Amino acid sequence: MYMHLEQCPRHLLVCEKSNFTNEKSRHGIHVQSHYFNYQVNMLIPECAVLPSELNALVNSFEKYYLVKNVPVYELVEQQFIDRFVKKGSVYALSYNTQIDQDNTVALLPTGTLILSVDKDTYEELGLEGKSSQYSHKAVMRYVITVDLKSLVPGTAKNKRVMWALKEKLLVKCDFLIMWNSPGDEDFSLSTHFEKYQCKEHAPAVSTKVLRDLPYPVIQSCDLRGNPEKSCDASEFMEWLGAVTSEIECNNEASNFLSTFCCPEPSSVMEKAYLCTVTGFLLPENICKLLEQLCHYFDEPKFAQWTSLTVHGFADSPVSWGSAEHGFHKGGENFYNFVVFKNRDYWLQMAVGSHDGCPP
Amino acid sequence: MACHERMEDDSGKYERIVHKNGSSYHYLKISLEFEEDTSIRLNSAQFKQLIISSLKQLFGEIGAALPFDVLQFEENTLSAVLRVYNRDLVKVWSALTLLGSYQSEMCAFRVQQVSPFLLALCGNSRT
Repeated sequence: MYMHLEQCPRHLLVCEKSNFTNEKSRHGIHVQSHYFNYQVNMLIPECAVLPSELNALVNSFEKYYLVKNVPVYELVEQQFIDRFVKKGSVYALSYNTQIDQDNTVALLPTGTLILSVDKDTYEELGLEGKSSQYSHKAVMRYVITVDLKSLVPGTAKNKRVMWALKEKLLVKCDFLIMWNSPGDEDFSLSTHFEKYQCKEHAPAVSTKVLRDLPYPVIQSCDLRGNPEKSCDASEFMEWLGAVTSEIECNNEASNFLSTFCCPEPSSVMEKAYLCTVTGFLLPENICKLLEQLCHYFDEPKFAQWTSLTVHGFADSPVSWGSAEHGFHKGGENFYNFVVFKNRDYWLQMAVGSHDGCPP
Repeated sequence: MACHERMEDDSGKYERIVHKNGSSYHYLKISLEFEEDTSIRLNSAQFKQLIISSLKQLFGEIGAALPFDVLQFEENTLSAVLRVYNRDLVKVWSALTLLGSYQSEMCAFRVQQVSPFLLALCGNSRT
């Protein structure tokens, strides 16, 4: 009778294992193609003070700008394209827009502008797009994609896009924006957007040392776990979630409140260093952090592994690459690296129901 | 030991597993709000009992017997993290939604985030 009540939305978890020294390892590509990152959590067992190299990296995440009330046509202006899009990587994401109800805009570093708009906006704009993959029977959301690098000034297409966004319907958003340029340039985003309210923000860093922490035993060679010897990747990930949210893992089976326990087999670590960086984070910075985490084991350490979790923006129109992302019950799109002493790594990538399978 | 033997061969070997609906649980971040400033205080046990009674109201004895965990509870903000089985998600969520009062004071549960991954709850860009 209640069968339909027992269904829940689909979710996917991809677990991979490989080695950083493996030529075909795709860890860098996975990090680089996850464009819009909101938070990074780093957990280092048996560590109370962050090594100086890691500390320097954590504090050197690029600053980003929050520009208020910008019309979207500003991103299509030839001057913007010439100054920024063609001379580096621009990351821009509309801020405080919810992808399941508002119009959401993103500019990928590849120069692709993505507008995820509701049906009314789509019809009024009159630009060519595709219906969202995650529509119901009646399509209520459309995705418009414009390749800015291939827009030629003066062509009919260019004029049409400008006209639609400027005169037909003025779509305005607050934007989180960042520009990763190859060298010193003549222009900065703050001067380009000076007529709008443009404020620079630095990612927020918070750290914590956790004491006497039960942890699941894992072995790099055994992604699937072994009942007596080690835990599997998804059990580890659940435990990691509990630790990051500071959830008690020492409950008994008869406890009224919670029966949640650290997965078995387990051990106890004396201390662990948890570091969180929150903001609009560049994939390049995360790559550097991951690289440095591998070098953590260059000197002898008590820890067997370290972990690095990266959360994407719940309301980004893409997750990895140009794969469409949406928000259903949640907008989760995150990945976690477990870096082992012997340079092996586990990579766990998770998405909710409005997302394709991670790469 | 078996693993060590395999490490010789398997170390660094590429392997990929895709879990579809692999998690048996869903996690909910919720908070309880009272309509007016109230002197009512709840501890964690009373908080869980309140949820159980709302399940009982809606689904009867069977509802009251649904297993779920209060993984975390903050008394000051009356916010909590729940863990429920996937099959019970709709029932727990609907019971939370339909609860209207505690000790004759108007109140409501706000569901802030829902995810099949506990790890997703610490990095919510929607606040």
